[in-house]
Amino acid sequence: MEEVDMDPEKASEPENVEVKSRVFTLEDDKDPGVELSGEMSEKRLQEREKISPRRITNLQRHLTTLVTNIQTAADARESMRRKELEEARKMRLELLENDMKSSQEKFEEITRGWSLTKEKVSAQELQEALNNQQLLLTSLLEDKKKVIDELQQELKLGDDHFVKDLKKQAEERDLMLERMEDQIKTLTKAYREELAQTQSVNQRETKDLLTNDTSDWEQRMKKLWDTEQARLAQRRKTVEEYEAKIHSLIFETMDKQTATKIEQNAKLQVLEREHQKTLASIIVVRLNQIKEKHELEVLTSSRVDSLQTEKKNAVAKPNNQPRKTSQSLSKDYKQSVQQYERLQKKLKQIVVADARTFEEMWATVEAEVRQLAERALEIDSLICRQHFGVAWERPPMPLAASSSSFHTERQTHRPARRAVSQLYHTEQSLQRSSQRTTMGVDAETESADVDHASMGGTATQSEGDAELEDGTLTLETVTKVMELLWEEVGFLMEDDPTLLASLEKEEQTAIKLGSLLFSFGIEEEDLPKLAHFLLKYRQQQSEQTERVCDETGESSDQAAAFDPTSDLIHPNHVLPALKSFLNQYMKSRQNSCQSSVVHTEGRGSSEDKAYWESLGNVIPDSKVQLWEEAEKTLTQYIVILTDICALDTETDSLRQQNAELRMLLQQSLNPQVCHVTHQ
Amino acid sequence: MDNLEVGTEGSALQDSAAIKLDKDKLKASGKCGEMRSISDPCWTQELMPPLSNLCLQSIVSNFEENPIVEQLRPGEKDFILKHLFTDLPLHMTANLISDGVYWRRCCERQWDLCDVSDYGHSWKRMFFERRLESMIELFIPDASDPEVILDMVQHCRDYIKRLSISQLLLSDNESSADHFDFGILLDKLTSLEELHLIYRVKKCGMNFEWKMLEMSDRDCESLAKAIESCKTLKRLRLQLSNIDDNQCHLLVKYLLDHPSLRELDFSHNLISDGGAKAIAELLTRSKLEILNLFDNDIRDKGAKAIAQALSENSTLLSLNLRLNRVKDEGGQAISEALLKNNTLHHLHLGANKVTGPTAVALSEVLAQNNILRSINLSCNNLGELNEAVVKHPSFRLSLC
Repeated sequence: MEEVDMDPEKASEPENVEVKSRVFTLEDDKDPGVELSGEMSEKRLQEREKISPRRITNLQRHLTTLVTNIQTAADARESMRRKELEEARKMRLELLENDMKSSQEKFEEITRGWSLTKEKVSAQELQEALNNQQLLLTSLLEDKKKVIDELQQELKLGDDHFVKDLKKQAEERDLMLERMEDQIKTLTKAYREELAQTQSVNQRETKDLLTNDTSDWEQRMKKLWDTEQARLAQRRKTVEEYEAKIHSLIFETMDKQTATKIEQNAKLQVLEREHQKTLASIIVVRLNQIKEKHELEVLTSSRVDSLQTEKKNAVAKPNNQPRKTSQSLSKDYKQSVQQYERLQKKLKQIVVADARTFEEMWATVEAEVRQLAERALEIDSLICRQHFGVAWERPPMPLAASSSSFHTERQTHRPARRAVSQLYHTEQSLQRSSQRTTMGVDAETESADVDHASMGGTATQSEGDAELEDGTLTLETVTKVMELLWEEVGFLMEDDPTLLASLEKEEQTAIKLGSLLFSFGIEEEDLPKLAHFLLKYRQQQSEQTERVCDETGESSDQAAAFDPTSDLIHPNHVLPALKSFLNQYMKSRQNSCQSSVVHTEGRGSSEDKAYWESLGNVIPDSKVQLWEEAEKTLTQYIVILTDICALDTETDSLRQQNAELRMLLQQSLNPQVCHVTHQ
Repeated sequence: MDNLEVGTEGSALQDSAAIKLDKDKLKASGKCGEMRSISDPCWTQELMPPLSNLCLQSIVSNFEENPIVEQLRPGEKDFILKHLFTDLPLHMTANLISDGVYWRRCCERQWDLCDVSDYGHSWKRMFFERRLESMIELFIPDASDPEVILDMVQHCRDYIKRLSISQLLLSDNESSADHFDFGILLDKLTSLEELHLIYRVKKCGMNFEWKMLEMSDRDCESLAKAIESCKTLKRLRLQLSNIDDNQCHLLVKYLLDHPSLRELDFSHNLISDGGAKAIAELLTRSKLEILNLFDNDIRDKGAKAIAQALSENSTLLSLNLRLNRVKDEGGQAISEALLKNNTLHHLHLGANKVTGPTAVALSEVLAQNNILRSINLSCNNLGELNEAVVKHPSFRLSLC
């Protein structure tokens, strides 16, 4: 029954001691190791590294061996106990058997005694036998009691032993636990040491590796650095070299370029000069051409005359040869005339364009100037009225006054005005031309001759009838006028006096007039017109001269020279009259281009100059001085005003503050008052 | 049914409307929140739980009526398993919730020490096994209702692989000496592989009776029948149960044709030669691999029977006869059997009063047997050692 309580953790005493001693030896082994680890000699460490795993495995095996040892010890103890128990049982069984045998013998003796007693008859014997039996029984009982006591004692002993065993086992268990704990401690210690060692070894290794690596790194870096620096220096050198090279190259190329440039410039200049030369030569050639044309024209015109005379001669005595030449010449002439006409057309167009632009310019500039003048006058008026308090009067300026109407006037009365200026101009030119004639200088060009001729023509014609005024011209008057014209102008036409003299007077005049008119370019139908004009001219002349005298005063003596009372046109006036007619005639014929030319010329007159000057001097110098003074005072005044303005804002703000303060004061006063009233 | 659904839908709509209203309120009274944050320093916007969390909370609180786990996404599932109550009825959770956090929580709530590595790293298995063990250990025959255990077994039969029962209580009735009847249980545990039983009462105190430490004949018979009915059992341990020859005979009789039994442990019992003979018969018929008979009362006759069986057996790997009374006759018989056996790896003959002749016989065995890995002959008085024993390679010999 006690086997049930058997504990597997039982262990015997000697076993404990043995294990203990083993543990101690292990600890002894370890201690010097710990000390040595403090010294940290590398050899030792390496050895230890080799040893340590073995030691750990040993320790682990010791752990398991401890358990198995305990188990086997328990088994041994158990078996020993069982053996003891068995022996005890055996002894007990023997003892019990012996006891049983002895008691059996005694029991048999007693039973035998009982049978003996049956044989006994006497009471005394019976009593004796009974006593014997009783004695025997008591002895038997005593024996039995003894055995029971012994057994009980044994039981007690067994109990005690059991309790003792339990105690022992408890003690042993405690001891075992302690030992196991110790072992675990040593194991953990060993593990810790191992860990520390491995850590230190690892650290050292890593340190060594690190130092090695860093040194290696540094060396390599140094190498790299050096090589890089060397390379850098080399590169710098090369850069410098290249820079120098580039500089030199730049200079060289610059020199080369400048040289080539200069050369090219020189070439260009030469070329330009040549070009100009060629241009000049071309111009010269053209001029020559023009000259030749002119000459040709002149020649042709003169040749026509001559040809006409020749024709007449040829009529008288026909000739074949000159006709041919004349035909060719006439062809040439036609061509040249066409050319001339073309040129003139061009000229006219150009002149017209110029005139138009001039007109526009004039108009715009005039308007601008007028506006400016108006503004100046306005400003002046303002200054006068507001700063001097003087009543302003518009300065006496006829031009300024009439300026507003002038423009429109010009628009409407342009033809008249133009005619006036035109006439005026013609007069001047006539004067000049007459002067020229008086000086005795023969006209070089035929046009000049024509002028003179026309002068003479008109002079003769001015002696015409007064009836011409009416516009109804009789043939007589016309002839008269023509005659006068011829007389006056005829001196110009000294072609062939011999040829004329051969003819009759009427014929002579007719021929003369024809040639004259031809030279003038007037057709025969226009003759009455011419006569009419000449007669009219006389009247106009008288009026116009007066007006011109008013304006300029230059031609005052001329005006005196003109006789308004003369019936026919004054011979002296014939020439200008003719001229003017011719002009008018041309104008009517060739549109208004020539007139515009004259008109533009008329613009440069002194009248316009004065007009412009008057516009420019709208404000006189005295006024300008006055203005400057006024400006000075005004600037001062403005400065003062600005100051005032600045101060004004300040005062405003102050006023506002004042108001606010007043409000606050009132507010602060009011509640107090309320309070007071409430109280 | 339809109406009900409509109703729930309506309520859901109402709920959503309510939530919307609340949100509107929150938006409208953003100032209110600020005020609260001013007055209550612990209050922050983050303390407001998101709607999904609230939903999961409601699932957790209504799990008993409407268990939803599998439809959820993994994160939500984790949340549910972390917050589910551990006292939910087993019939719901047993098959619904797989092994994991929930069962861990259940285990840790019931027991302080939980070493899941002993249970194949399965918290669920641990929970059910330990629960069933505790139920059986506290079962009082004629007083407790076996239906409670059976009800639980119904749910957890697939998860229990091992039962190790360290005590079995007796009924208060003086006359009957029967323990818990395993016949009702073992045929229902369809995946049981190990059964450890000790027929004893722990902490009996002054109420000690001998019958507390032994199994009755009826117990033995019911247990034998139960074991026979459990076809998956691989390992049977019946220790410290005072099994005598008759009981052993009875048990072995039912184990003879067990299809899966591999390990038998009758240590710390009172088996003597009769029982040993029965076990020898078992050895010849079953496919036992490990046989533990240490601390019994087997003597030379029983040992001879076992040796006879061993010579014919081809499955046994380990034989432990420690603390028996085999003596030299039995030892020699076993040695002779080992000459014929080709499978045994480990032999323990410690504390068997074996002496020199057995050692000699064993040395002869070792000379030709290459399969034996270890022989333990500790606590025996062997006398002189034979040199052959020491020379054997890959061999561990424990002598004392």
